[in-house]
Amino acid sequence: MSIEIKQIEKSFGRFKALKSIDFAVESGELIALLGPSGCGKTTLLRIIAGLETPDKGCILFHGEDATDRHVRDRNVGFVFQHYALFRHMTVFENIAFGLRVRPRSQRPPEAALRRKVHDLLNLVQLDWLADRYPPQLSGGQRQRIALARALAIEPKVLLLDEPFGALDARVRKDLRRWLRRLHDELHVTSVFVTHDQEEALEVADRVVVLNEGRIEQIGTPESVYDHPASPFVYQFLGDVNLFHGRVHEGEAQIGDARIIWPEQSPQDSAVFYVRPHEIDITRTAESTAAIAACISDIRTLGATVRIELERSDGQGLVEAELARDQFSTLALTKGEVVYLQPRRLKLFSTVAETTGQ
Amino acid sequence: MFRNTRVLPGFAPTLGFTLLYLSLIVLIPLSATVVKSAGLGLEGFWQVITSPRVMASYRLTFGASLLAASINAVFGLLVAWVLVRYPFPGKRVVDALVDLPFALPTSVAGIALSSLYADQGWMGAGFAALGIKITYTPLGVVVALTFIGLPFVVRTLQPVLEDFEAELEEAAASLGASRWQTFWWVIFPTLLPGLLTGFALAFARAVGEYGSVIFIAGNIPMVSEITPLLIITRLEEYDYAGATALAVSMLVVSFSLLLIINGLQRWSQLSRL
Repeated sequence: MSIEIKQIEKSFGRFKALKSIDFAVESGELIALLGPSGCGKTTLLRIIAGLETPDKGCILFHGEDATDRHVRDRNVGFVFQHYALFRHMTVFENIAFGLRVRPRSQRPPEAALRRKVHDLLNLVQLDWLADRYPPQLSGGQRQRIALARALAIEPKVLLLDEPFGALDARVRKDLRRWLRRLHDELHVTSVFVTHDQEEALEVADRVVVLNEGRIEQIGTPESVYDHPASPFVYQFLGDVNLFHGRVHEGEAQIGDARIIWPEQSPQDSAVFYVRPHEIDITRTAESTAAIAACISDIRTLGATVRIELERSDGQGLVEAELARDQFSTLALTKGEVVYLQPRRLKLFSTVAETTGQ
Repeated sequence: MFRNTRVLPGFAPTLGFTLLYLSLIVLIPLSATVVKSAGLGLEGFWQVITSPRVMASYRLTFGASLLAASINAVFGLLVAWVLVRYPFPGKRVVDALVDLPFALPTSVAGIALSSLYADQGWMGAGFAALGIKITYTPLGVVVALTFIGLPFVVRTLQPVLEDFEAELEEAAASLGASRWQTFWWVIFPTLLPGLLTGFALAFARAVGEYGSVIFIAGNIPMVSEITPLLIITRLEEYDYAGATALAVSMLVVSFSLLLIINGLQRWSQLSRL
């Protein structure tokens, strides 16, 4: 089922949580609402679910206005960050709950209900936990049960509020891949909220980046990452180095470095954005595009090495990331003076992007 | 169990102190009553505690207490619910009012209740018109015991309700449950242990209540005479052995009833480890 979100606004007292939110979720799509805490992403999800009412605007489910429909009649599956499992019911009864509370005429017979619950337990690979109580399960297991419970009512839309937020890193990674596979199997229209850009980029078909109650950008993970629409998106999606400089006569000037910049509009004060892993480090200045810097710190993070450098012109710190092999070939040491060459610079305000050299 | 690996040390001294304290405050006075009543001999003891007038007072005391505690369980839950869930003007005043039965000297409560519910009183007149007599009947006893027991249920349920996760209700609603289904299947089971505790406290208080009951009850033998009153009567007659015999019998019954309620509570909590 498709969802259309039209001109949604919401305030809490004087705080404007959402400002004119407008986008559509296509049927069968998996969408991530991504943003820092307090950006309104959870509020938006709760409005879609019907747990919160918008001040203005409307929500359309499959072209039909559902704004005033009660959450119980929306047929949405909602998964909470802290699971919200019923502690006094077994896992089995938790999943069966949505079926048992149906009006008598729509309630499946006991045998069919048991079959259905066990199918769902198998789907989340936890059939052996049917008779346990929620407090006896681990976080990851609880969240999978919560998901099974939400799926039991055969929802047209699945909404997940930071579903992996309370789990530790390893479980989180497993579970989000599992969620992606599950979605590929079930194709239920899904929206999930996260503040973790990695999670959003890995799992979602499309990402909606929110900031301070507004949509910053909507797009596929690749397009959002490769072509961020604003400095906010660029910074939110990964680590970033800022280089202050100017654009002059077809050149980007950063300190003493000159980088060919075909964009014609000159700018006296420009901020260039560079990702740490898009910086080359060399021992000698191989072109005019190199910036001299002194290595102040080296940290190995598994497969990559993070190097902190102090620019020789006193313009602050730069962070670079090298693959482990590359790092060993270069055999860099702390205190050494090296040359930085950004492979890719991003400049906002004039919509320009180019590759260095 | 006795290996000292806890964050807070001192299992032995705290247990020792607790036992000593309970002995001084509860166990020794209680055993003194048993010892005192032993002067009657087994047969005499049995005769005292099973005479028809005493049996009638047991029925009234325990029956009225159970009924009052049940009424309080229902309406106390309602009051606690309203106080926690809804904002309304004067809420703090109402909240403070709940404690009033605690603070009021019981005889003051008794006098107030009996004048209110007397056949000519504000409330009593209305009931009398309907042919319901409250003062000097077992009904009056129930009214008084309900009055003094209310705070127990309200105060034990309030924190439980305040801690209740709104998400659980939202989850139930998103799964299609009606308000009533949400209350009955999701909220009520989490309240049950607290409700039973409140019930037990209200019941225990009601069984031992004296001051507020005697005025409204009229103390007619075989009809509206409560056991604590019988005990006082015996005391006034210097029949200490008889008084303690009655006290012991009440203690045994109360204790077993409280044990049963505790057991129920344990059972209702079992699934919420």
